[in-house]
Amino acid sequence: MSGQVYVAGVGSTTFSKHPNRSLVSLGAEAARAALSDSRIPVDAIGALFVGNFVGGIMTGQELLAPIIASELGLSYVEAMKLEDACASSAAGIRLAFQLVGSGQHHAVLVVGVERLTGAPRDVFTAAMTAAIDNDNEGAVGVTFPGFWGLVMNRHMYQYGTTREQVAAVTVKNRRFGVRNPLAQFRKEVSFDEVLSSDLIADPICKFDCCPSTDGAAALVIASEDLARKYSQSPVRIVGSALVTGPARVTGYRDITVHDGTVEAARRAYEMAGVDPEDIDVAEMHDCCSIAEIVDSEDLGFFAKGEGGPAALAAAEGRRHGRKVVINPSGGLLSKGHPVGATGCGQAYEIVQQLRECHSNQVEGARIGLTHNAGGTAAVVTIHIFEKMA
Amino acid sequence: MSAIRGTVYSATTIRVPGIAHAAEAPFVVLLVDTEDGRRVLGRSVGGRGPVIGTRVEVVESRDSVMLFAAVAKE
Repeated sequence: MSGQVYVAGVGSTTFSKHPNRSLVSLGAEAARAALSDSRIPVDAIGALFVGNFVGGIMTGQELLAPIIASELGLSYVEAMKLEDACASSAAGIRLAFQLVGSGQHHAVLVVGVERLTGAPRDVFTAAMTAAIDNDNEGAVGVTFPGFWGLVMNRHMYQYGTTREQVAAVTVKNRRFGVRNPLAQFRKEVSFDEVLSSDLIADPICKFDCCPSTDGAAALVIASEDLARKYSQSPVRIVGSALVTGPARVTGYRDITVHDGTVEAARRAYEMAGVDPEDIDVAEMHDCCSIAEIVDSEDLGFFAKGEGGPAALAAAEGRRHGRKVVINPSGGLLSKGHPVGATGCGQAYEIVQQLRECHSNQVEGARIGLTHNAGGTAAVVTIHIFEKMA
Repeated sequence: MSAIRGTVYSATTIRVPGIAHAAEAPFVVLLVDTEDGRRVLGRSVGGRGPVIGTRVEVVESRDSVMLFAAVAKE
C-alpha cells in the first residue's frame, strides 16, 4: 500500500555559465529556494539525494551530498549522490518517490547540480566520453552527437524525415527560451542559422546540439500530509519509472526506436492511469534536435516517423494533431543542459506549468510529463505530474 | 579466410572527436549489419562514408577497430 507523493517545493539557479561557482554553492542555492518554496520545516527532511554526473572530474569535488547537507544545516539525513549521466537527478526523484510513497520518509530533498565550464577543454572533452561504454565501444571514437548522427541518418532513411523538420526543433525551442528567465539562450535562431552552423557529426550541426551549461535545480518531495499542511501549491507525482535501455550503440535493434523510453513510458502511463493523449505539456530530452523527434514518437505522442512533420508544424505555429506542447521551457537546446541538474530542472518547469505561473504557460495544463535520458538512452526516467484539484 | 561483409545500417562523420581521437578527425563511423547476423560498429576507410544500404567489407583491423570499404562491383 503506498501513499500519495507530492512535489511540495521547487527551486533553481539560472542555467548559464557559472565557472567560478562551486557545485556546493550552486546546489545549496537551488536547495534553499526549494525548501523555502515548500515551507516544510528543515528538520522534516529525512533524506538528500544529489544528482551529478562529472563533478569530480570537472571540479575535483566528491562527497557532494553530505557536504551539501552540512551546508544546508541538515542533521542525520540519508545523503548520497546518484549518477545516471544526464538522468542523474531524475534518478533522485525516482528514489525519493519510492521512499516517500512507501512511508520510509515524509520529505526528501532532491538536488541536481553540474558545472561543465571553468576547467580546461581537454578535461571537459574527457568527461563527456565518460558515459560511453568505453570497454566495448570506446575504440571506434563515437561521441554523443555521433550516436545521434547515426540515429538521425537512419530516421531520415526510414521515414523520410527532412533536415528542415529536425532544425524546426531548435527553432521552436529557441523561441520558447526567449521568455524563460532561467534559460541559457534567450535569442531566436532561424532555420538558415541552424542549417549553416558548424557540422559536429554529419548531418548534426552545432545548433542541433545543446550547449554546455552550469546550474542546479531542486525539489522537495513530500507526503500528502506534509504537502497539504505546508505547501502553497503542491503538485502530485502520479507516474514514475526508471529503466535501462541499450548502453551500447550496437545494442539497438532499430536505432530509431529507443526501447528504454518506450518501456519507461508504458510503466509510467500505467501507474498514472493515463494515455499519451492525456498529456498537456511535456519536458523532454532534446540533447540533440533529432532526439526530441524520436522521443515524441516513443512517448506515444506521434506515430513512429511522424515526429518530424509534427515538429515542423509546431515551429511554424500550425496544429500537429495532438494537444501536447513539447519543451515550452526551451528544452535542453535553449534552457541548457547542466547534465546532473536537468532532471530536477525539467520537473521544476512542469511544476510551474501546473501551478499556472509559467512564462510560456500552456492553457489549462493539468497533466505534465518529464522525460530524461542518460547516455545513449541507456537509462530513461519518466515522471508524470498532476495538478491538484 | 574471407573478410567480414555486411550492409551499412547507418553512418555519420565525426568532426568533433573525444580527446583520445583528437588527431584522427574527421572520421566516418559505421553501423554495419554483417552477413552472419550481427550489428557491428566500425569505421569507413577514407573521409567519405558509404551511404546506408551499401555493401561493405572489412579491409583492415587497426587497434581493435574494424575498417570497412565498399565491396568492389563484380
